[in-house]
Amino acid sequence: MPDLGNWDWKSKEKMIADTAEWKARFEDVWEPYVSPDGEKIASIVKIGEGEFNVCVNGETWEEPYEKLWYSRFSPDGRLTVLASKDMEWTMAVDGKAWENSYEYIWDTKFSADGKVIAATVKQDDVYGIAVDEKTWECSKELQSIASYVISPDGKTVAAIAQTVPLGQADLEGFLKGTWSVVVNGKPWQNNFVDLYGLTISNDGKKIAAEYRAAICDYGIVVNGAPWETTAGCTWEPVFHPNNNDVVTAPVRQGGRWFLATNGTFVWDKGFTNILYQTYSPDGERIAATVATSFAKWTVAVDGQPWRTKFGECVLQPYFNPDGTKVAAIAKDRGFWFLVVDGTVLGDGAYYDNIWPPVFSPDGDKVICKVEKHGKYAIAVNGKIWGSKYEALWDPVISPDGTKVLIRGIEDKKYYRRIVPLASM
Amino acid sequence: MKPTIAKREPVVDDAMDQTEAKLRPEQIQKVINEVIDKETGGRLWTYVNTCIHCGLCAEACQWYLSNDRDVSYAPVTKIKDTIWVMLKNKGAVDAAFIKRCAEIAYTECNLCRRCGMYCPFGIDIAYMLLVVRRICAKLDMVPLYLQDTVHSHAATMNQMWVKPDEWIDTLQWQEEEGQGYVPSARLPLEKEGAEIMYSVIGPEPKFLAQLLGNITAIMKVAGLDWTMPATAGWDNSNMAMYSGDFEVMARVERLHHETAQRLKVKKIVMGECGHAFRGAEYDGPTWMGWMKPPIPIVHAISFYYDLIKSGRIKIAKKAEGPITVQDPCNVIRNGGLGDKLRYIMNAVCAEFVDVTPNKRHNYCCNEGGGVINC
Ligand code: SF4
Ligand code: SF4
Repeated sequence: MPDLGNWDWKSKEKMIADTAEWKARFEDVWEPYVSPDGEKIASIVKIGEGEFNVCVNGETWEEPYEKLWYSRFSPDGRLTVLASKDMEWTMAVDGKAWENSYEYIWDTKFSADGKVIAATVKQDDVYGIAVDEKTWECSKELQSIASYVISPDGKTVAAIAQTVPLGQADLEGFLKGTWSVVVNGKPWQNNFVDLYGLTISNDGKKIAAEYRAAICDYGIVVNGAPWETTAGCTWEPVFHPNNNDVVTAPVRQGGRWFLATNGTFVWDKGFTNILYQTYSPDGERIAATVATSFAKWTVAVDGQPWRTKFGECVLQPYFNPDGTKVAAIAKDRGFWFLVVDGTVLGDGAYYDNIWPPVFSPDGDKVICKVEKHGKYAIAVNGKIWGSKYEALWDPVISPDGTKVLIRGIEDKKYYRRIVPLASM
Repeated sequence: MKPTIAKREPVVDDAMDQTEAKLRPEQIQKVINEVIDKETGGRLWTYVNTCIHCGLCAEACQWYLSNDRDVSYAPVTKIKDTIWVMLKNKGAVDAAFIKRCAEIAYTECNLCRRCGMYCPFGIDIAYMLLVVRRICAKLDMVPLYLQDTVHSHAATMNQMWVKPDEWIDTLQWQEEEGQGYVPSARLPLEKEGAEIMYSVIGPEPKFLAQLLGNITAIMKVAGLDWTMPATAGWDNSNMAMYSGDFEVMARVERLHHETAQRLKVKKIVMGECGHAFRGAEYDGPTWMGWMKPPIPIVHAISFYYDLIKSGRIKIAKKAEGPITVQDPCNVIRNGGLGDKLRYIMNAVCAEFVDVTPNKRHNYCCNEGGGVINC
């Protein structure tokens, strides 16, 4: 995490930029992004035929590009944009392009503190990961990269990569395994038919994924070593937050889903589906989204489903800091609800969209961005609080837990506001 | 029960021939019984036990009709020669039999579900032939062209082995093409909170990229807030649904819907593909345990109907000459969009000539069901 303590938690309100003025200045203004600390707002802007730039707080970068896309702020507030000039692509960071350019570059990711910037690259038809401008050196010519993960400290980057070329319609070759995991440029020794759900331990020392052993035969593999048993199907594994020897994943047996840790069922009651298993911060509890039967979705905590069920879907569960409460976003009859421990918050309030909730440190308040009738607002315990915005970003709670940073556009002006949590 | 005399040229398929050589009887029996016991339930038994062998379903099937009413192509015959034998023998059948089952289920039936409308009991023969496909898929007895496509879905989450960078690069190129029609058009990638996520089938970036340029222009003219993902999850097609590899099918569908959830859109608008609609609207969500897609899916026919009817897009020039239309099974018979399709045809054609039989009584194009691949 970046050091939130350095952010300005004192200024009650700052009007950072008037985006109406941008619309008058540029041919086209794309959707804006804001920095995590709320101090900057940026849009890709069109300045002429085949000429694009980035406008940050009203100022454009020195150099325009032929194409720009995927503007994303790093956790430490640097603006990265994928940029193209003369048919070559690179990463531009705060207006300065990486020295290397590539045939293609995409999927920017960051370490937790934002100091490390990575992206997938292709050069001369060989795929790799570039980490802070340096492309992996790999003993194999990677044929493709499906996805990658980066450890919180940014020191380990692991990718699901095709390490063996495959001819057209070569079924036999495919079933021998053409995919592997490549860690900091070094492929695992074994290949797999397919790999999915790549995940990395918090200390960056272990990598886990789902693998496909054969048609309809799946398992979990950790640092190249598969679990002893395979299953009819699996979903993505997760690591225990503080113990990289412990990996948990949903596995399907006999048409029901079970939760297994290191290959052994820990939830012996089968469900119609289990998704998004999540550890509490101390690793003592597990919550997951489950369907107890067809179209009956809820959250189960340590295997016990909530009583309240939802007809359409339930998204990922979130624990509060001490692991005693669980929140989730659920959908029923076309509307979204915020649910904590099985109770719909805000007297049954429903929304057109809800973004991931954050708990206050004491767990008393749960805060999130919501959408209703085309406007955005902050909801506190499920009820709309304060202004309605044209655009809004997720609220951030200060490290001491007393204040909330709200970043939103009102009447085309972008405001950064600090609000005492107690007043919400 | 005597096997039906079927006059066919011998089928040569390297993948199926190799599997036939490898399959062991006990493996076959185990898979058949597993699928029947654990995956079918009352539906299969009801159908099997309700059928009175009257043969009325025969007249429904385009395979039967276009082969001079050869009874070996009648829907009930395809059941008699496959699942009935498996049930009667409690799964004790040989590899040659499984290969013949695969020929029947994959290449002599389109899973079009026309026969179900002609059966006095509404028996869904296509469902039973999908169970046969499921058994074949678990035994890796799948035609080479289809299995290769399923492997593509499994490895890349799209139908055509399109790599991640090729996808994004194609969209960026087609954005420029769209700007050739409407200079201010944009193909917004990864725009969280847009109203619509537009999803397509693998052949669009691979062979029919101009369709992506066209939609870029159409969305601009219609004034819609839309986006496309720059990640896997963009392909709504699903040949794994047709091979019977339901685990791959579910993974593809899950990713498609989760991509829409991640982008926080209100709906997914999809291109024209009929089987993709079936997978995204029904088969995929059902396997996942969802009552319906967690983010609603709008098929291209409904989408264009709304755009034209509301005047959001106007037809500048109608296509000349007599033009007809084939009703795709999965969106017309099984999706109810026949009238909307005709509204669009009349709006874009100077002389629309309808087919008979039409709408839900249509004939399958005979490409459906994965019999022919894009
Ligand atoms: S589903 Fe269609 S192709 Fe298959 S047997 Fe029935 S009518 Fe014939
Ligand atoms: S019409 Fe129905 S009852 Fe008659 S043979 Fe066909 S499936 Fe059986």
